[in-house]
Amino acid sequence: MADPAVMAGGFSAIRSGCGKATSSPAENYQLARRRTLQVVVSSLLTECGFESAEKATVESLTEMIQSYISEVGRCAKAYCEHTARITPTLSDTVVTLNEMGFNVDTLPGYAKRSQRMVITAPPVTNAPVIPKALIAGQKRTHPSHIPSHFPEFPDPHTYIKTPTFREPVSDYQVVREKAASQRRDVERALTRFMAKTGETQSLFKDDVTAFPLIAERPSSIPYLSALLPSELELQTLEETDSSEQDDQTDSENTPVNNLNDDPGADKENSVLLAGSVVPLVKVSEESMIDNPYLRPVKKPKVRRKK
Amino acid sequence: MCSLSHLGFVELTIFPTVVNLNRIKLNSKQCRIYRVRVNDLEAPFIYNDPTLEVCHHESKQRNLNYFSSAYTAAVSAVDPDAGHGELVIKVPSELWKQGDEMNVLKVYIEFSLDQPKGGLHFVVPDVEGSMAERGAHVFSFGYQNSTRFWFPCVDSYSELCTWKLEFTVDASMVAVSCGDLVETVYTHDMRKKTFHYVLPIPTAASNISLSVGPFEILVEPYMHEVTHFCLPQLLPLLKHSMSYLHEIFEFYEEILTCRYPYSCFKTVFVDEAYVQVSSYASMSIFSTNLLHSAMIIDQTPLTRQCLAQALAQQFFGCFISRMSWADEWVLKGISGYIYGLYLKKTFGVNQYRHWIKEELDKMVEYELKMGGVLLHPTFGGGKDKDNPTPHLHFSIKHPHTLSWKYYKMFQCKAHLVMRLIENRISMEFMLQVFNKLLSLASTASSQKYQSHMWSQMLVSTHSFLKSISNVSGKDIGPLIKQWVDQSAVVKFFGSFAFNRKRNVLELEIRQDYTSSGTQKYVGPIKVTVQELDGSFNHTLQIEENSLKHDIPCHSKSRRNKKKKIPLMNGEEVDMDLSAMDADSPLLWIRIDPDMSILRKVEFEQADFMWQYQLRYERDVVAQEESILALEKFPTPASRLALTDILEQDQCFYKVRQGACFCLAKIANSMMSTWTGPPAMKSLFTRMFCCKSCPNIVKTNTFISFQSYFLQKTMPVAMAQLRDIQNLCPKDVLNFILDLIKYNDNRKNKFSDNYYRAELIDALTNSLTPAISISNEVRTVDNLNGDVRLILEEITRSLNMEKLLPSYRNTITVSCLRAIRMLQKNGHIPSDPSLFKSYAEYGHFVDVRVAALEAVVDYTRGMHRTSPSEVSRTHPIPYVVHKILSMLGKNPPFTKAAESPLCNEALVDQLWKLMNSGTSHDWRLRCDAVNLYYTLFGLTRPSCLPLPELGLVLNLKEKKAVLNPTIKPEQGPDTTEMTGITMGGLITMETVSSVSMSSGVAPPPQGLKRKLDSVVGPLGSSSPEPGQVLQEEDTSKKFKIRFNTVEEDEIDMESPHDSQAFIHHHLNILERPSTPGQHPAVLSLPVTPLPSSFGKESTSSSKHSGDHHHHHHHHEHKKKKKKKHKHKHKHKHESKDKERDSHAFSNSPASGRSARSPSMSD
Repeated sequence: MADPAVMAGGFSAIRSGCGKATSSPAENYQLARRRTLQVVVSSLLTECGFESAEKATVESLTEMIQSYISEVGRCAKAYCEHTARITPTLSDTVVTLNEMGFNVDTLPGYAKRSQRMVITAPPVTNAPVIPKALIAGQKRTHPSHIPSHFPEFPDPHTYIKTPTFREPVSDYQVVREKAASQRRDVERALTRFMAKTGETQSLFKDDVTAFPLIAERPSSIPYLSALLPSELELQTLEETDSSEQDDQTDSENTPVNNLNDDPGADKENSVLLAGSVVPLVKVSEESMIDNPYLRPVKKPKVRRKK
Repeated sequence: MCSLSHLGFVELTIFPTVVNLNRIKLNSKQCRIYRVRVNDLEAPFIYNDPTLEVCHHESKQRNLNYFSSAYTAAVSAVDPDAGHGELVIKVPSELWKQGDEMNVLKVYIEFSLDQPKGGLHFVVPDVEGSMAERGAHVFSFGYQNSTRFWFPCVDSYSELCTWKLEFTVDASMVAVSCGDLVETVYTHDMRKKTFHYVLPIPTAASNISLSVGPFEILVEPYMHEVTHFCLPQLLPLLKHSMSYLHEIFEFYEEILTCRYPYSCFKTVFVDEAYVQVSSYASMSIFSTNLLHSAMIIDQTPLTRQCLAQALAQQFFGCFISRMSWADEWVLKGISGYIYGLYLKKTFGVNQYRHWIKEELDKMVEYELKMGGVLLHPTFGGGKDKDNPTPHLHFSIKHPHTLSWKYYKMFQCKAHLVMRLIENRISMEFMLQVFNKLLSLASTASSQKYQSHMWSQMLVSTHSFLKSISNVSGKDIGPLIKQWVDQSAVVKFFGSFAFNRKRNVLELEIRQDYTSSGTQKYVGPIKVTVQELDGSFNHTLQIEENSLKHDIPCHSKSRRNKKKKIPLMNGEEVDMDLSAMDADSPLLWIRIDPDMSILRKVEFEQADFMWQYQLRYERDVVAQEESILALEKFPTPASRLALTDILEQDQCFYKVRQGACFCLAKIANSMMSTWTGPPAMKSLFTRMFCCKSCPNIVKTNTFISFQSYFLQKTMPVAMAQLRDIQNLCPKDVLNFILDLIKYNDNRKNKFSDNYYRAELIDALTNSLTPAISISNEVRTVDNLNGDVRLILEEITRSLNMEKLLPSYRNTITVSCLRAIRMLQKNGHIPSDPSLFKSYAEYGHFVDVRVAALEAVVDYTRGMHRTSPSEVSRTHPIPYVVHKILSMLGKNPPFTKAAESPLCNEALVDQLWKLMNSGTSHDWRLRCDAVNLYYTLFGLTRPSCLPLPELGLVLNLKEKKAVLNPTIKPEQGPDTTEMTGITMGGLITMETVSSVSMSSGVAPPPQGLKRKLDSVVGPLGSSSPEPGQVLQEEDTSKKFKIRFNTVEEDEIDMESPHDSQAFIHHHLNILERPSTPGQHPAVLSLPVTPLPSSFGKESTSSSKHSGDHHHHHHHHEHKKKKKKKHKHKHKHKHESKDKERDSHAFSNSPASGRSARSPSMSD
C-alpha cells in the first residue's frame, strides 16, 4: 500500500481540482483502488449473510473502510517517524492497530477463516507516475559528517534563490502611466459591462449604443449613498491612517467590550444604539453623564384615571 | 407621496388684562378644529383663512399690483402682531362676568392635522420595514412665524409664554422638541412612549419646533447638556461633524460674557430640510446633508459655519425675540454680526474681510438692480397706503409677503449695518450692549409670575438704540437714519490727478444718487494713499456740492533711490519702482478701505498702481479689487503681477483663486501677443506635477489646503483660455485630460471628489459652440474629435458614480452640467429627458437641483416646453422653491420678449399657483409672485385677451397693444402649444376657458370695491403692534396624536406621463388645505365629539372625507401643552370687530358672514 496520507491528499486534490475531467492516469489509479475496496466491502457483506445492499450503504462502508485504512497508515507512519525512521515496520503497524482498539491476535485466525472469498486483484493499471521533480542544478552530496543512509539533499532550487523574474520597471513615469491606463481600462470595461447588462440612457437618438450611460436609479434613501463614504474610500482611509491610529484603536476597543453587557442600558437605548459602533465609547462616560435622552424609559403609572 | 396626520389638543390659559374680553383670536392654518371649550364650556368659533385664496376666482384682473395689495391685506387680516387671527373664538357669555373680574380663562382646542403641506414635513422613504427601519421622520419647518400650520397658537414672536409639551410616539422613535426633557414614559400597551418637555423660559410660539424620528443619539462629549440627533447609519458622520461644536459655544459665551441661555441644546439633522439651518428655542434643525466624514475638505468649513449661525441665532432670535416685524433687523443683525466675529476668530481676518466684501458686493448688486432694501420700515398709521418701497413688486409690511431673495439681502444688510455701528462705537461697547440685552432678558425670564417683565426679552429698534446710546454715549442717529430708516446704497465714482507743483493729490469723488437703489451720502469718508514714504489715511468730508478734495502728499517723487517702502501694517518692503510715474510719489489710492459705508466704488487709477496694489497691499479686499480692475489692463505687466501672486503661498488662497480667472481673461485679451505656454500651465506643472515627468500630476495628498484649493481652481480657469479661432487650445485640453487620467488618490486620506468634479467643470469650460454645417441633426458620427474625448470622460465618470458614488454626488452634478453644456453648444442633440429622469424624486437633492437647472435652461433655450411642466415634482418644499427661483433667475422669457410660451394658460396656471396653490408655504407663494413678476411684470400680462371694453384697466396700453396681443393669441399660440407642449397645459386650458366664460358675469368694478373695503378698515385699525395684544404669563397644554396616512398621490411609476402628472399636481393645488372652506365644518362646533382618543382617530378619517385611501396607523403621537395664559387687551372691541367681520365676509369663505351679527355684540 502506498502512503495513505499521500493517497488521501491526492484524492481530495483531484476531487476539488479537476472536477469532471477524469482522464488522468493518477485518477484512474485511484478509481481502480476504490472499486477494489468496494468489492471488498461487498464480499464482506455477502460473507455476513446480506443478500443485497443499497448503493449508498456500500458507499458509506467503503468510505469508512478507506478512512480506517488511511488512519492506520497515517499512524504507522507517525510512529515510524517518531523513531527517526522513514519506512514503517511491522511493529509500527501492530502498535497502531492496538492503539486503535484492534486486537491483533485475532488477525491470523480471521485471515484463515474458511468462508472467506477470494478477491481478484485490482485490474492492472499503470501506477500513477510520480511527476518528476524539477531538477535544476546538481544535487549536493552529503558532507562527510552525515551518514550516507540519510536522505539526499533536495534540489538546490528549493533552498537557493533562483532568479526567474525580470527586473521590474521602476521608472516612475512608466509606472504611473501603467497604473493610470490600467485603472482606466478597468473602469471602462466595468462601466461598459454594467451598461450592456443593465438599462441605459443615451445621449444620441440615432445611435443608442454610443456613450451609453447607466440608467439612473432612484433610491428611496438617496442621502445615505451620497453622504456615507464608500467602502473603497474607507479602505483607503484605513490604510493611510492605520499607522497613526494603531495605538488609539487599542485603547478604544477595550472599554467597548465591557460595555456591551452594561446592565444599566435599558432596552430602548440598546435598540437605538444597536448597529452603531461609535457611541459605545461614549456609553462608558454616559453611565456618568446625566442626559435625559439616555435615561431609561419609565413604565406607565399603575393606575391613571382615564 | 406619503403623508401623515396628527391629532392633538392645545390648552391655553389666559389672564385677561381688559375687562370685557369676549373674543379670542388665534392663529391656525391647515388644522381641522373639532371643538373649542373655554373653562369647560363649549365655545362657538369661526375659522377663516383669507390667505387660502388671495383673490377671488372670478377675478380677471391678473395683474400683480392687484394681487400684491390683496395678498398684503389678507396677511394683515390675520396678523398676530396686530391682534388678528384665523381662528376667532367667542367666549361663552356665561364667562363674561368672570372676565370682568379678570379671572383666568382656559381655552381648550381639539384639532387634527391631515396631510399637512406646510408646517410639518414628513419624510417616509418607500422601502420595506417598520417606520424606524425606513428612517421615516417628521420635522416642523417654516419661513418666519409659521407655527400656526401645525397647532393653533398666537403665532407671533412677541407673545411669550412658558410651555409644557407632550408627544406620544412609537416606541422606536424619539421626539425632540424645545425645552428640557423631563421624562419619557411608556404608554400602557408599552408600544409607544410619551416625551414630556418643559420649557420654563418664556418663548414665543413661533420659536417652538418638533422633530420625530428613529434618531441616533450622540451626547456631546465636552458638554453633556448638548445632544445631537441624526438619522440611522449616519452616526459616524455626526460624531465627526459635531466634534467642533464646543469651541463655538465657548467662543460665543466668552464674547457675550453670558452663559448659553437654555439649560440644554439639541441639534437634529433631517432629510429634505426646508433650509440648511433653522433655529428654535434650545434646538436647531439642520439639513442632514451638512454631515460629512473626516475625508471631506470642502464641506467642513461650510458645516462649521452653519453650526455657528445656528448658535448665534439661539442667543438672538430664539432667546431674545423681537417686538415686531420692523425690529427683525436688530436680531438678524446681531446674530449675523457675532457670527462674523466667530468667522474672524476661526477662519482668520482674511476670510472675514473677504466675507464682508462678498456680502457687501452681493447686497449692493441686489439693491442697484431691484431697488433698496429697507431694514426698519415704519408704517404710518395713515389710511393712504404710503408704501415705503414703491419700487418693489411685493409689500415689505409682513415677513410673509417678502421675496426670499429680498429677505436674504435683508439679513445681509442687517449684519453689515451692525458692523458699521461697531465701527462707530467700538467693539467693546458693542459687546457690552449685547451683554446688557442678554442679562436683562435672562433676569426677566426667571421672573416666573411677573409676565409684564417678559417684555424685556423682546428687543425693539428703539430699545436697542437706547442701550447703544446708554452704553457708548455716542449718537449714532445719522448712521441709523442713513442705513436703517432709508433703503438704498451709495455709488461712488472716483478719479484723481496729481498736481506736481503743489505736491497735492486732487481727488474727485462723484456720486450717482438718481438711479434706482442709490442714495446720497453726506459725511466722512476714509481715503488711504500709499506713497513712497508710507501709507497715509485721510478722512474727507463728502458734502453737498464738493466733488474735489485736495490731499497733500507727504513724500516727493524720487528716482532710483533704493529704500524700503513702509506699508500700512508697518512692514517695509523693497519694490521695483521702475513701473511708476517718475513724477509722482503715489503708489496706489483706496477709497473707503474699511468698507464703512454701504457702497460701490468705481475708482480709476493707472494700471501700474493696480499692480502695485495687488502685489504689496496686504489687505485681501484691496487685492481682490485690484484683480477685478486689472481685467481691463491686459498687459505683460499685469500678467506678471498676477503670476507672482499665484506663486506666493503667503497670499490668501481666495485671492489666488481670483487671480487665476483674471489671468485667463487677460490671456484671452492678449491672445495675439501672448508668448510662452498657455497661462498657468507651467505654473501648475511646477506646483503640482512630478519633477521627473512634468506631464504627470503628483499623487494626491491635499495636505496643504491652500494648494488644494488652488489645484482645484487652476484647471477650471485654464479651460477658459481661447485661441485665435476662439477654441480652447489643444494644449490645455490635453493637459486637463491628462490630469483626469493620472489622478491618483489611493494614498490620500482625503476624498478627491470635489477635485474631480472641478476637473469635469474644467472640461465643461473648455467647450465652445460647435460649427454646424446647416441645420443637420447631431449624430455620433459627426462628433468633433476633442468633444468625443470629453464626452468619453464624462460618460465614464457619470457611470462610475453609479458604482462608487462620491460625497454629495458632486461628480454627477458636474457631469449633468457638462452634458447640458454640450447640448447647448450643439455638440449633442438637445434633449431634456435625461435631466428629467435625474430630477425625479429619489435622487440626492443636489443632483435634482442640477438636473432641474438644466431643464430650466433647456426651457429657455428652446422655447419648447412649458416651465410649469418643470414644477411637477415631489413636493419637497426646498426643491419646489429652488425650481421657482431658478425659473426666476433664468426665465424662459421676460415681459419684454415675445415667446410662444407666453400664453393665457400659463398665466392662468401661475396665477392659480400663487393665488391658492401655495397657501401652505409663504416662501413658495412669494417665489411664485417673483416668477410672475419676471415673466409678466406688474401689469396685466400682454398675452391675455383684453378685458371688456368697460374696464378701466390700462387705457393707454390698450390702444398701443390691442392688435399685437390678439394676434399671437390666436395664431401661433394655440397651435404651437397643443402641438408641442405636454398635456398639462391643455388640461389647464379647459379650466381657464371655464373661468373665462364665468368671468364675464360679475362686473369688475365690484371687485374693486370689495378690495377697498378689505383694505380700508384694516388700514385704520392696524394699531401699533405690541399694544393691542399684551399677553401675560401664558403657557399651553397641548396634546397631539399623529396618524400616518399613506397616500399614493403622485404616481411616480409613470413619470413620463406628464399629463396625468400635471393633472395630479393641479389637483393637489386645488384641494383646500384647510377645512375652513368646507361649509360642513361650520356645524362642527355644535357636533359633540367622542372624547376618547381611540374613537377620534376614526372620526378623523371620517372627516377627511374626500381623500382617504387607506389609513395606516403607523405612528401615534400625542402632544400636550399645559396652561397657556394669555391676556388680550382688545382696545377696539365692538366697532372694529364689526368691521373685521365685515372684512372676513369679503374673503373666500364668505358664507360665514351670516354669522357675524351674532359675533359682534
